[in-house]
Amino acid sequence: MLPHILESAKLFYPELALTIAFCFVILAGLVTRNRIFTGLAGMAGVLAALYFVSVQAPVDGTAFSDMLAVDGFSRFFKIVILAATFIVQLFSLQSAELKSRAMGTAEYNALLTALALGMCLMAGASNMLMMYLALELTSITSYLLAGYTREAEDSAEAALKYVIYGAVASGMMLYGISIVYGLTGALDIYSVNQALGSGQVNLWTLILAGILITVGFGYKISAVPFHFWTPDVYEGAPVTITALLSVASKAAGFAMMIRFFRVTFADLIMGGQETGAWAMLGGFEWNEVLAVLAVLSMTLGNLVALWQNNLKRLLAYSSIAHAGYMLLGVVTMSPEGVSAVMIYFVVYLFMNLGAFYVVMLVADKTGSEEMSAYAGLGQRSPFIGVAMTIFLLSLTGIPPTAGFVGKLYIFSALIGAKMIGLVVIGALNSVVSLYYYVRILKNMFLKDAAPGGAVFGLSVPEVAMLLLLLVPTLLLGLYFGPLVEYAQASVSIFGIPR
Amino acid sequence: MTLIDVIFWFFAAVTLGSAAVVVFSRNIIYSAFALLFTFFGVAGFYVLLGADFIAITQLLIYVGGILVLLVFGVMLTNKVVSVDIKSGTLNAGVAMVVVSLTAGTIAGIFYATEWKTAPAEMLQPTTAGELGTMMMTSYLLPFEVASVVLLVALIGAAMVSRRDRSKQEAA
Repeated sequence: MLPHILESAKLFYPELALTIAFCFVILAGLVTRNRIFTGLAGMAGVLAALYFVSVQAPVDGTAFSDMLAVDGFSRFFKIVILAATFIVQLFSLQSAELKSRAMGTAEYNALLTALALGMCLMAGASNMLMMYLALELTSITSYLLAGYTREAEDSAEAALKYVIYGAVASGMMLYGISIVYGLTGALDIYSVNQALGSGQVNLWTLILAGILITVGFGYKISAVPFHFWTPDVYEGAPVTITALLSVASKAAGFAMMIRFFRVTFADLIMGGQETGAWAMLGGFEWNEVLAVLAVLSMTLGNLVALWQNNLKRLLAYSSIAHAGYMLLGVVTMSPEGVSAVMIYFVVYLFMNLGAFYVVMLVADKTGSEEMSAYAGLGQRSPFIGVAMTIFLLSLTGIPPTAGFVGKLYIFSALIGAKMIGLVVIGALNSVVSLYYYVRILKNMFLKDAAPGGAVFGLSVPEVAMLLLLLVPTLLLGLYFGPLVEYAQASVSIFGIPR
Repeated sequence: MTLIDVIFWFFAAVTLGSAAVVVFSRNIIYSAFALLFTFFGVAGFYVLLGADFIAITQLLIYVGGILVLLVFGVMLTNKVVSVDIKSGTLNAGVAMVVVSLTAGTIAGIFYATEWKTAPAEMLQPTTAGELGTMMMTSYLLPFEVASVVLLVALIGAAMVSRRDRSKQEAA
């Protein structure tokens, strides 16, 4: 057993780096109150983890007695998660909102690394016990970070709502897991798959358990109808945390969900169908459940976003809609669909973090997240105006921005799977989303600034940060070959014959 | 009906009865005390299932630790905070229909299900030793991750509840 654990530890370096950084930042917080120092220490941990992920040998395997799968799929998602965390850590160094709280900055930075650890574990978990633990680590850390600026009333409210919804969702997921365990006597998804494949399992009980587990996933990726917490939490939490939740925590949820459905319910012995789609185990088409969730998420997210005047709320509903688009990729149940989701996440990382960064800059300088604060922004600060325009066009999916590439691959995977109806719904939804994104643009360029709306310049780090997010958003729209190739090479999930 | 069956129904009655008191009592202190019996009943199930170590842990940690803390918390905050803690019910009618439908569906499905069971002869006389070995071997990772989860929760609890001293001095 010991040699196996030592062997496993070698595959576990990224998570180990995060754990060490977490403990180090906590201890450093006892000595120093310097928020820059603890922030940099946390960033060093995340960078180290990124390094270890990128140098990992491109082989598939599992670690710690099948608890964690270490494969191309988990490596890809870990890179997305860690990159998002790193960018948010950079935001946090600049955020004026966070400076308002004098104490607990070390805790803030430590919890960010713990959150990254939880999300990396979610991306790799291949045992339902491990999935639940990773989900809880991510959730508990997110509750705390959402309520970090607790002097602000809506931050405390956001944290409390998040706790209540999260507790219910993870309780239901745990109930579902316990039912699956009762049916199969196994917790790791490979043995569960084998037990299900033997055909001795009551279908209705399995459907009940699967739906309960889907509640947990749906809550994490904020898909309708499990989205109720999203607008309130996104509005109340500090902007940095909102940005991280909208990208990284969604990516972790998607990674865990895809792995769960791909391994547990797929017919691994029969392999794929002619179209390249996965064959599902007897009797129940899980992708139909996911298709319903996807359509609901897109439609409701986009329609409700039309009425929002608070930018954080608007982006919250937009992120629900984007979860819907990405779910479409999962619905195809094909390698093309999964790699499309992966491409979408890289694109989404830059454009969504970019939009949230602009919201943070404007909120720091004007003290408001309302639509009215953006009136005349194009004249007052042309660079921010142009940057926001590009991020919003990219979120809509208009070429030549990166968002177009993301949607293109999702829709072409759907066409490959002959799901034309879903393509039509997705395209119609993109048109609806154009309306509310353009509303912001109209405010920025066609409306005159309110009297007293000061002209504000940007400091050098702020310009650099904007460029860091802006350049990939444009570049990936024009030159996306390497990203696509890397994503398509990374769809290998351990235990799945390709 | 064997002796085991009698004991099972006894514990089931204790657990469900006291759980009902927890939910329906209007006095939150009664609820907290009733929870004591719920936890006790669950510990009884663990014993019946041959999980001796978990049964003892349940008694020590839930009944002996967490619940005492909870009762203290309820009794102290009840007096300090002048606002009454609400423990009433809203929309009782709708909730009743939804809950009974859900419960009926789940009960029906469970009744029809063939659960995977192990023969009773496989029961070990004691489970503590094997549990310890498994925690250090095949379940090492969850065991360690659980410690990180607890550390995060501890730090978070301190972070949320601690007074911001700099703000007070300024005031």
